[in-house]
Amino acid sequence: MNRSLKQIALILLLAMLVACTATPKKDLALERVRDDLNNLRANPELVGYAPLALGEAERALRVAEQASGNEIYRFHLVYMADRRIQIAKAMAEREQYEQARDVLESRHSAMLLKASQLEAEQARAEAERARLLVATTSEDAQRARDEKDRALQKEAESARAAELATEEAQQARRLAESRASEAEFARREADLASQQITSLTRQLENLQLRQTESGVVVTLGDVLFASGQTSLVEGARSSLEEVVDLLQTEPEKKIRVEGHTDSSGEADTNIALSQERADAVRQALIDLGVAEDRITSAGMGEDFPIASNEIEAGRSRNRRVDVILLDN
Amino acid sequence: MKPILVAVVLLALAACTTIRPGPDAFLSAETVIATAEKAGGDEFAPVEMRFAREKLASAHQGMEKQKYVVALYLVDQSEINAELAIEKSRAAKSRRRVNELRKSNDELENKLRATFGDVFE
Repeated sequence: MNRSLKQIALILLLAMLVACTATPKKDLALERVRDDLNNLRANPELVGYAPLALGEAERALRVAEQASGNEIYRFHLVYMADRRIQIAKAMAEREQYEQARDVLESRHSAMLLKASQLEAEQARAEAERARLLVATTSEDAQRARDEKDRALQKEAESARAAELATEEAQQARRLAESRASEAEFARREADLASQQITSLTRQLENLQLRQTESGVVVTLGDVLFASGQTSLVEGARSSLEEVVDLLQTEPEKKIRVEGHTDSSGEADTNIALSQERADAVRQALIDLGVAEDRITSAGMGEDFPIASNEIEAGRSRNRRVDVILLDN
Repeated sequence: MKPILVAVVLLALAACTTIRPGPDAFLSAETVIATAEKAGGDEFAPVEMRFAREKLASAHQGMEKQKYVVALYLVDQSEINAELAIEKSRAAKSRRRVNELRKSNDELENKLRATFGDVFE
């Protein structure tokens, strides 16, 4: 073990002695590295960009060039110098790119700025054109606006008018409806009245009426009593109803019932007969609703004929009961 | 001539009898290699990365073979390759950015020319 170590040491020592004693020959590797560095220094695009790294490479190369000693060591130094040059080159390239990047970014900003300026210019020009357009057409525009305003106003007015008209129409319709119903009502009343008038007229037509100084005289013919009788015949009552209707149209007036006979028979008898007959009629009228205090009766006998007693037709007319609506 | 020879011999002997380096000897190189990996060295500088790793492996082997001096040289060489890989990666990234920017600028310029015409320059 000890022996072999000594042998190795001896061999190593001999080898080193050979190496070290060898005169520095032309080192091709070192020359190549030196060329690289010189090229890098000659490159105007790179030389200024990594001065520190370039300085380190230079120092490393000088160390390698000046190094004495064994081959391994010198090879190592040359290798390191070569790497240092490569590093300097990479750093210079990077710096170059960074500066190019700055330029490009400036260019980018400048383009954007220019674009925004142009945009603003265009907008200004556009605005100016618009302004001119507005100026030249402002009169027209004003006129158009006025017209439009007027039209709108008119429209609004007509709309209001239409609304008003509608409302009025509705009111009118409602009024008309109410009036129509009023009219209807009135018409019905009128109808009713006319019916009453008609019926009264009919009654008046049936009854014999005379206007005298005392008042209206209703003459009831000799159909109410049988000959010589003082009680009303059957059916006389319905005739009397018509007389009552007439009497009730003027309820404030007093009523006088007069009985009359023809000239046949005794005068006293005729007076009594006429009195009784007048009383019978009076009582019938009271029964039919005429107020008792309104009505008086009298037997007039044969002394107030309205026709000749010479003929039967005249005597028939004279046999009568007059119901007088007294004016006073 | 003779004293020089003696001195050289002594120096050489001294070099050869260097004591074994501690485990820290690899630390710096390993750190720089890790940095280079993060910088994208495998993408932008694969050759240098390979050198850095191979030389570190050789250094380990030299250490095992007790070739301490050579091992230390190899560690240095490994580290400087890793450094170079870092710088090459940075340069490559810068170049890439520049190319992208140039392309973007060209596109922008074309667009603006299309929009504004000859007014734009």
